[in-house]
This record gives sequence, C-alpha cells and structure tokens, in this order.
Amino acid sequence: MSKLAGKKLILLGERDGVPAPAMEACFKNSGAEVIFSVTECFV
Amino acid sequence: MDLQNQQRVKDAAEKYDPADIVVVLGSSDAEGAEIYAETVCNGDPTYAGPLAGVPLGLAVYDIFDQEIRDLADPEEWENQISMMEMVLDPEALAAAVKGIREQFSKYAL
Repeated sequence: MSKLAGKKLILLGERDGVPAPAMEACFKNSGAEVIFSVTECFV
Repeated sequence: MDLQNQQRVKDAAEKYDPADIVVVLGSSDAEGAEIYAETVCNGDPTYAGPLAGVPLGLAVYDIFDQEIRDLADPEEWENQISMMEMVLDPEALAAAVKGIREQFSKYAL
C-alpha cells in the first residue's frame, strides 16, 4: 500500500514551477485525499 | 505565501489531524520553496499572515523529493511534470525543502 494512503494532501503549486493540477494528477491513485490545492503566481 | 492560502492551510491543520497532512510544493526556485516550507512548518517568516507565530510542524516535501516522486503515478509524472523537471533545478528544490523539514517538521511520511 502507498505510504500516502489515508494522508491528507495540501498541494501548493506555482505557475512558473509545477502547477497544482499537475501534482494532483500524479497522486490521484495514491489513496491520499487532496484537501487543498492551489497554484500561486507571482507577477 | 498568499495570506488567504495561509488561512486555508491553518484551517486544514485545525480540521484534520496534522500528523496525517502532507504538504507538497511545486515552487520554481529554491529560495521561494524554503519560504513556503518554513511557513507551513515554523510559521510565516514575514510575520504578515495568519500563520505568523504558528508553528504547525507539518510534513513538507518538494514535488522533486525522491521520497514523494517514488509515490507519484509514473505515467502522469511523464505527462505532467517531466518537462518542468528539465527546466527547473530539482535537486536544489528538494534539498532546500528537506533542510527546512529536518529543522522544523514534527511529522514525516
């Protein structure tokens, strides 16, 4: 079982780095629940 | 970190067991990643937001940290993240967040 099973994920992405939806896609089958996901942008 | 987002992180840490929460960062530079990591571990270093003086101690990892990378779906990684991996400095980002985690996190994976 994944080490993330049962965990609550907070994904803090960045527009010029890795955006949150990209990270979310990678963990959607990990057994973790995404409780907050946001992509910040510094312009 | 955006003040509203600090509040959202704070609310989440109150609603859920902080030991179950894992924060994953997708920052573009190591300095920014350190500030984000410190904010969710030891409180807002700029003392501007809701997390000022609030050391949540959450487990925090950069997306390029090998420990987190190993848990990602390989196909999605290839599609969504591998391009940015070539542009950014993944080792520096992972090391920056690891340094803060080892100093301030009360929890880990």
